[in-house]
Amino acid sequence: MTVTERTTASTPAPGHRRWRAARPWLGTAARLGLAAVWLAAGGSKVGDLAASGRAVSAYKIFPYDLAVVIGAALPFVELALGLILLVGLATRLAAGISAALLVIFIAGIASAWARGLSIDCGCFGSGGDLAAGQDPTYGTELLRDVGFLVLAGFLLVWPRTPVSVDAALGRDTREEESDDE
Amino acid sequence: MSDRNRKGQRRPARVVREQMARERRRKRTLWTSVGAVIVLVIAGLIGWGVSASQDAGDFTPPGGSNPEGTGIVLGSGPINIDVYEDFICPICRTFEQQAGGTLDQLVAQGKVRVTYHPVAFLNRFSSTEYSTRSSAASGCAAQSGKFREYAKALFDRQPPEGSAGLSDDQLVEAATSIGLAGDSFRNCVRENTFKKWTEHVTDEAARAGVTGTPTVLVAGKQVQPSAEAITAAVAAAGG
Repeated sequence: MTVTERTTASTPAPGHRRWRAARPWLGTAARLGLAAVWLAAGGSKVGDLAASGRAVSAYKIFPYDLAVVIGAALPFVELALGLILLVGLATRLAAGISAALLVIFIAGIASAWARGLSIDCGCFGSGGDLAAGQDPTYGTELLRDVGFLVLAGFLLVWPRTPVSVDAALGRDTREEESDDE
Repeated sequence: MSDRNRKGQRRPARVVREQMARERRRKRTLWTSVGAVIVLVIAGLIGWGVSASQDAGDFTPPGGSNPEGTGIVLGSGPINIDVYEDFICPICRTFEQQAGGTLDQLVAQGKVRVTYHPVAFLNRFSSTEYSTRSSAASGCAAQSGKFREYAKALFDRQPPEGSAGLSDDQLVEAATSIGLAGDSFRNCVRENTFKKWTEHVTDEAARAGVTGTPTVLVAGKQVQPSAEAITAAVAAAGG
């Protein structure tokens, strides 16, 4: 065995090499996907902040006045988070905040389910009580949020993606194969 | 190539360079993170500011309002009934058709005092904020003592969810159909006379824990929105 062969052998299986090649692009897809989720979620709520406040209030977790403030701030924070992920700025932090928000949403929906409330989660607009005869879809809403959480988790572990502000800023100092942010 | 991979053979200059690069990267991460957090905080504050500036503020309740200005009162019976409706909500229309007559009857018999709260919960289901516009128009009708008749006329003409809703002209036409003067009603609608009132009605309904329409309370307790449930609850309350 020559020295060159031994160094390439430090990346063991061919599957692992493919994973290394695919990872930046999977990360890009996760980043843009999560950005789209936040932009859609914020965009659907930002036009009617009063309704967004009522959707938060329908969970009956916060006092009404606090729910109104949360409902008003949330769509703008979601839009900002979407834009930050779209351009790829501080991706690991943005993914961490995304994950934290999603965990809070999941907890909120699970708690509404556990308490037997009959509400729409208000995730993408809408929200509030469901009409008589309409069943809540907590299971679907939870699964969907867990799916988004997986995207955020991927970016939390591997935040480095090509074609991002992070990559553009780091071009002068990049170390090979490093995922340190 | 080979000296990159064999750590022991790295020259000191390279080690220093890499250390400096690491330091630069650490600083860059710090500052991009600070920037991102600032953007998020500012976004949240914008939302708070926008919503605070949209607060209902001063409003003029129309004639026939309750003292709190959160609804229109019909009847003076001993048992209180609260009805929360949105004029674009299809189930509110069904409720009106199924139970509206029962409520009118209970009022006529002097058994109950019904407060109608025309809330604007469903503005997103029309392109022209029909929920707000129709509720404000119902205030114009209440000013002339014809809230109930006008509410029925609006439910008869209910636009489908997702449409533009009735135009201002159609709102006026509904008023003239129940014998209200077209010109003064038109002015009332055009000048948004009761828009602030509608916002107040809606906010206070949400504050009272009402999160959907139709919601019916008999003596303060929520009941199914049906004629049978209302009749039973009124009977149970001694009516």
